[in-house]
Amino acid sequence: MRATLKKRVLFLGLPAAAALAGLVFAGRAEAATINKTVCVRNVTKTLSGTNVNFWGFTEGCMGMGAGLVPGPVVEMGEGDTLNLTLNVMMAPEEAAPYNGHTIHLHGLDVPQAEDGVPETGASVSGDTYTFTAKPGWAGSYIYHCHVHTVKHLEMGMYASLIIRPKDANGNFLKQITSTAATAYDYVQNYLISTVDPGYHTATGDSTVFADYNPLYFLIEGKEGKSKTAPAVTLAAATGKKVALRLIGLHSVNARFTLRDSNGSAKSFTIHTRDGRSLPAPETVSSVSISPGQRYDILFTLPSTSGTWYPQVEFQDLWNGNTYTGGTVYGKITF
Amino acid sequence: MFPPNAPTIDRTLFVRFVLLLLLLVPPLSSEAASKNYSLYIATGSVTITASPVTGNGAATIPSWGYTDVAGGPGKVPGPILTAREGDAVSVTVVNNDSRSHNFVVKRVTTDTSAIPAGGTKTYTFTAPAAGAYVYYDSLAGNVNREMGLYGIFIVEPADGSLSAWAGGPAYTSAVSWVVSEMDKPRWNDVASSGGTVNTSVYKPNYFLMNGMNGFQAMGDANTSIMGRVGDVALVRLVNAGQYSHSLHFHGNHYRLIDEDGVRLASFKELDIVNVPPLGTVMVLFELNQPGVYPMHIHTAQMETGNGVYLNGVAAMIAIEP
Ligand SMILES: [Cu+2]
Ligand SMILES: [Cu+2]
Repeated sequence: MRATLKKRVLFLGLPAAAALAGLVFAGRAEAATINKTVCVRNVTKTLSGTNVNFWGFTEGCMGMGAGLVPGPVVEMGEGDTLNLTLNVMMAPEEAAPYNGHTIHLHGLDVPQAEDGVPETGASVSGDTYTFTAKPGWAGSYIYHCHVHTVKHLEMGMYASLIIRPKDANGNFLKQITSTAATAYDYVQNYLISTVDPGYHTATGDSTVFADYNPLYFLIEGKEGKSKTAPAVTLAAATGKKVALRLIGLHSVNARFTLRDSNGSAKSFTIHTRDGRSLPAPETVSSVSISPGQRYDILFTLPSTSGTWYPQVEFQDLWNGNTYTGGTVYGKITF
Repeated sequence: MFPPNAPTIDRTLFVRFVLLLLLLVPPLSSEAASKNYSLYIATGSVTITASPVTGNGAATIPSWGYTDVAGGPGKVPGPILTAREGDAVSVTVVNNDSRSHNFVVKRVTTDTSAIPAGGTKTYTFTAPAAGAYVYYDSLAGNVNREMGLYGIFIVEPADGSLSAWAGGPAYTSAVSWVVSEMDKPRWNDVASSGGTVNTSVYKPNYFLMNGMNGFQAMGDANTSIMGRVGDVALVRLVNAGQYSHSLHFHGNHYRLIDEDGVRLASFKELDIVNVPPLGTVMVLFELNQPGVYPMHIHTAQMETGNGVYLNGVAAMIAIEP
């Protein structure tokens, strides 16, 4: 499959195609073209007192600043075109054949030339990845590296990509989709991931990668092991609507619940899954998130003040037991 | 199939050719038939091939399996069993192994009693609602299943039409995917040599698609989704393993039409299907743009075969214009 790298030559016409796509949409007031460039840099995170090295995407390409985990959020409207450029200059990397990096637009159904998969011809030396968000695609996606993903995802090479509905003037609507029932007052990303430090030092084809033993559990790249030290916080007004985007970059099972200060589960409504509206919204009191899945959920805060704790329990793939330290909290005060 | 722009095809001749083909196809029949299978339980092995990228990862895993070849080694997974809805199905299971085994079709059969070493048992049942079913050996905790004793049972609509069920969504081609795992050092090596598996520890290091490592599966015509733009592939998927398998499609979303035999009233459009242990699903994948795309598991270690990248659960999607 590596032999197909020769195909790289075929894709040199890409920037021209991207420019053409930009022209087609330039005539429509509501469609924008978004150009963004990201690089890859080392970053050390201190997790439960231990330093772990990550590779993070960052827009700060002018020096050796730290990468971000998760990487910079890409936000675009339905109808908009994204030109996402990966610059691999000065990027930390593995030895061949797992050298270099790519970007895979996870869930965006791009053609092969934009798919970022080295084994089907993607360059690992940097490229521009282009697509136009179709109507009906409002929801949550991911962009991540697709080189030796067992390691590179674990190293933190992932970020949220959000597609938003727009009004006739081209402004973002504060809704999950173009359906008015998905309107929110507040929105937050809950990108969830897990960390096995052994995967951060192993490289190449190593038996380390056959056995996943996560020690750290993250929402938006942060530990939040207790209600008093949550990973993510939101200060909201009573009676308002909150949308959360649950984005799975972990490698175990996970279960999301929303609980009040007494621990009672509160129901919420799933409007989109994997970037598509469900045929009918589903109101539930918990949802399991599997690796790669995304859910956009909505709930209304009570009319009297209080605190709710959105939380994710990370569970063993085999017996479903929640890992020690595997419950990560968010916090919403209202 | 002719390329759409082939200039040399005489259209009249082409129409005649198609009409001739139609005459040759027997008319659809709704009459229930009987389907008889013989399965033999035997030891065998699963061959893991090396990564062509790095040359790493070749291995042989001792296994137990069902086979349709009398006297042959066990196959992993066992043979694909097929029937049409309403057919009278008879499966005669011959236990050629030295241990007790059985044969259970989840959601179909209820007899879980053992077939002793050297014994034979015949299971008869009526083919249930069109869909995907998993058959397996339910004995010895999960050890017999983990060793490779499982397979898929496919039920087609009674009229034999290319639809997921009578009056259900139509497709142009179908593939079946049996996903699973094996813990070679702690389960397969121990059980195959007569030892007692410590079933309180399960750390599988091989993750299989249709009994194959990733590089074999990606090159396997029966596992790949192949066709032309406009085709619709039906995937009948069973998880015979003990881990959930979270599978991600590149190139297009798919439609979830059936989960564990429950037909969805309206089909969800998704790009990840998460199948729990002994779960079954049916999905429709529309081939809507040319290219070659992977379908792969999104769980880190399950993308590998004992740590060798891309040798875990994967398949290819190849779409011609
Ligand atoms: Cu990478
Ligand atoms: Cu992905």
